[in-house]
Amino acid sequence: MATDLHAFGKSVKRREDPRFIRGKGTYIDDIKLPGMIYMDIVRSPYAHAKILKIDASKALALPGVLAVITGKDLDAYKLAWMPTLMSDTQMVLPIDRVVYQSQEVAAVIATERYIAADAVALVEVEYEPLPPVVDPYKALEPDAPLVRPDHADKKTNHIWHWESGDKARTDQLFNEAEVVVKEHMYLPRIHVSSIETCGCVASFDKVNGKLTVWMTTQAPHAIRTVFSLVTAASAVGQIPEHKIRIISPDIGGGFGGKVPVYPGYVIATAASVLTGLPVKWIEDRSENLQADSFARDYHMDVELAGKRDGTITAMRVKTLADHGSADAAANPSKFPAGLFNVCTGSYQIQAAHIEVDGVYTNKPPGGVAYRCSFRVTEAVHAIERIVDRMAQELKMDPAELRLKNFIPPDKFPYKSATGWEYDSGNYPAALKLAMEKIGYADLRKEQAEKRARGELMGIGISTFTEIVGAGPSHTFDILGIKMFDSAEIRVHPTGSAIVRIGVQTQGQGHETTFAQIVAEELGLPVDNITVEHGDTDTAPYGLGTYASRSTPTAGAATAMAARKIREKAKLIAAHLLEASPDDIEWVDYKFQVKGAPGRSKTMADVAFAAYTNHPQGMEAGLEAVDYYDPPNLTFPFGAYICVVDIDRGTGAVKIRRFVAVDDCGNIINPMIVDGQIHGGLTMGMAPALLEGIFYDENGNIQQGTFMDYLLPTSMETPAWETDKTCTPSPHHPLGAKGVGESATVGAPPAIANAVVDALSHLGVTHLDIPITPWKVYEILQAHGLTEV
Amino acid sequence: MHFTGQETINVPMQAVWDFFMDPHRVAECAPGFQSMEVLAPDHFKPKVGVGIGAIKATFTLDVMLENLRAPDHAEVKGHGVAAGSAVDFNGRMDLTSESEHVTRMDWVADVNVSGGIASVGGRLLESTARKLTAKFFANMRENLQKHSSPAKE
Repeated sequence: MATDLHAFGKSVKRREDPRFIRGKGTYIDDIKLPGMIYMDIVRSPYAHAKILKIDASKALALPGVLAVITGKDLDAYKLAWMPTLMSDTQMVLPIDRVVYQSQEVAAVIATERYIAADAVALVEVEYEPLPPVVDPYKALEPDAPLVRPDHADKKTNHIWHWESGDKARTDQLFNEAEVVVKEHMYLPRIHVSSIETCGCVASFDKVNGKLTVWMTTQAPHAIRTVFSLVTAASAVGQIPEHKIRIISPDIGGGFGGKVPVYPGYVIATAASVLTGLPVKWIEDRSENLQADSFARDYHMDVELAGKRDGTITAMRVKTLADHGSADAAANPSKFPAGLFNVCTGSYQIQAAHIEVDGVYTNKPPGGVAYRCSFRVTEAVHAIERIVDRMAQELKMDPAELRLKNFIPPDKFPYKSATGWEYDSGNYPAALKLAMEKIGYADLRKEQAEKRARGELMGIGISTFTEIVGAGPSHTFDILGIKMFDSAEIRVHPTGSAIVRIGVQTQGQGHETTFAQIVAEELGLPVDNITVEHGDTDTAPYGLGTYASRSTPTAGAATAMAARKIREKAKLIAAHLLEASPDDIEWVDYKFQVKGAPGRSKTMADVAFAAYTNHPQGMEAGLEAVDYYDPPNLTFPFGAYICVVDIDRGTGAVKIRRFVAVDDCGNIINPMIVDGQIHGGLTMGMAPALLEGIFYDENGNIQQGTFMDYLLPTSMETPAWETDKTCTPSPHHPLGAKGVGESATVGAPPAIANAVVDALSHLGVTHLDIPITPWKVYEILQAHGLTEV
Repeated sequence: MHFTGQETINVPMQAVWDFFMDPHRVAECAPGFQSMEVLAPDHFKPKVGVGIGAIKATFTLDVMLENLRAPDHAEVKGHGVAAGSAVDFNGRMDLTSESEHVTRMDWVADVNVSGGIASVGGRLLESTARKLTAKFFANMRENLQKHSSPAKE
């Protein structure tokens, strides 16, 4: 009846799934409190307008309507504006002007959800339309309408300029280059579109002054601190941090979209503080899609320099980052363009110079890192597309060009041209495995034969490097809070344990994988370990889950806390075994006396003794906390190869095969990693072929519902083929790297490269994503290749 | 959206002019017309229901007639709001008498639709607008016919 205690690297079934499968999860809308009232929001039809008048009389006359809150009401409490995570500001509710369509204009509070919605239609707002600017290039023209006149020091829509790398050396290498390729690439706005929209239940107890907010947030602790600071600056008066409790229950998908604070949270909280009643606010689907933070919207001019023999020498990128009406990104403070300068990718590039300019437009504020570590999707797209462009220019096979320029495995740790220190990698191994798995050489032959027959088939490669696990405290903070993360473990007398973590699961399976870490480190059965997170009153402080940071930061903290416990446990074991601690070793998940395997104690034995028979002079109990400050980021990578066939009748791109070889270091739970990769590939395929949010010249969103914003379903999703290589992180206590975002980051250029490859003989060098059937059809038509 | 058009109507120019100067008659011809508040002879607030695709909305419009030069030139300007949507428009018409009983009308209109109707119904907006315009002119002919018929008898 020996229990197998080996937990690390096993496909333990997800312990959170039984409640999700049975519909027993607790999401925000499941929270129901006595006396709860409801909020709904009046939104602007205009992208840019003055508000002349808000007449709420008809709404207030509707039975059940309790209040209509406007920007002027909030302004009386100094709450009409709020800070963004990027030290910009954004309106909670406008006082006199709106700057994007669907912006919050007023909030209705009512006794029932439906009454609130009816009353929204009765609030009469008089606007004076102003000319909007939706194109960031036009936004920089001298006579462009000013999106943010409230910034008294700014006379233009330019937000910031950021650059990285060595300009002089880069320019010199470009001047000396035998070959230079250049493309303008646009990664359009996309939206997270998590199944669960955003929402909260704010409940302020007027008797004890405690504010409890159940909120769909990926970062509950940071939200608590922000709320305390925001109330301190308001006329409400500071709610001290110990009197704020943020609870993030089950989350129906976060993907970066649930990192920012949205105005709805603030208005609902203000309404609860003023009324003393719990206030629920749940966005509807259109509000979520039309007004919440978006991702991408990067206009990139990408250049690559090299030699005729295929040696890449330098990279130059100039980018316009469209942030909409506020820089409401959720990047680490020192990185206005996130980690975009990791765009030299997996290649030895002597010098690079990267410039990004942030611009305001009359669009919803953003942008969040949608399942990518702070602009890494943009970075990977830039390098993986331009490397293919170079191969095309040199008439060289794109796999060969990559193999020639990869950072060699023996050069790690490797310092990139923009200053990142890659921890470990073996890029040729991943690419060779992917090529072998997909039968690369045969596919090239098949492509040549088909091309001769007029059939269109393409093969696309992406050999990306991710940069995750933000991050080391010397460089990484959000609003000054360092980006460590934490874990607290308590082992109970009978050999079970609770672990509380500072990160917040949104489907990643933390309740399983973090239990596996503790189980492996302490020699306890996985089933004996409870994982808790998301309640700021109980969990240790942490910065939350995004940017694939949970395993690199809180996962490491969990391992370190467990090891602290093991150190103490060893002393207790020595006491129980009447041996010197120096003679005790940890073997096969138990403490044993060196050379005497028969004399041993399990962790359960030790746990019991920690409360019943601990050594004199030692504190009772068995628990530890760890705040882990990672020494470096981790650099997962992968090699993806995609085969597409193009329908000459419709222009539709069909993914015939897609092989994804990932390397995320040591793996805690292979099944969960595969799940992450399958989901990520689908979410990477979507922007490559389907998704994009565009605006007309008046600032009307053109993809405001799922009729026009095409989310992939199983029908559009090919059968993904996955495999792994394993290059552990040398600095992570578990050798793990994080994997949540690799596939989303790596897939789009593989698909785009495949489509361009299919059309390259027609002179096509680049296609912006999403590569819709119409885009392809127009090319086929121009070459007389359409068939009926 | 920019629209232009030319209509040939088989009634005298004065009859067409009279029609356009009577907000009630014009409103009756507007598809989806519900009710109207007349604030002044050149200023009125009609309520009009519009359906585009799956979206239906009732717009409360604020319409002003401008630069009236009887009997052949008129301009109109207005805006309207519905829940989550807004419309701003201006237009002008010029009448030419082609013969005693035939009038030519040249018209131009610029319409900006914002909000839910524009986002959700975006692709259908222009075609719906054309359809509604055609319906309006059909109704107008009928109305003019009705008004001019008794005189002929």
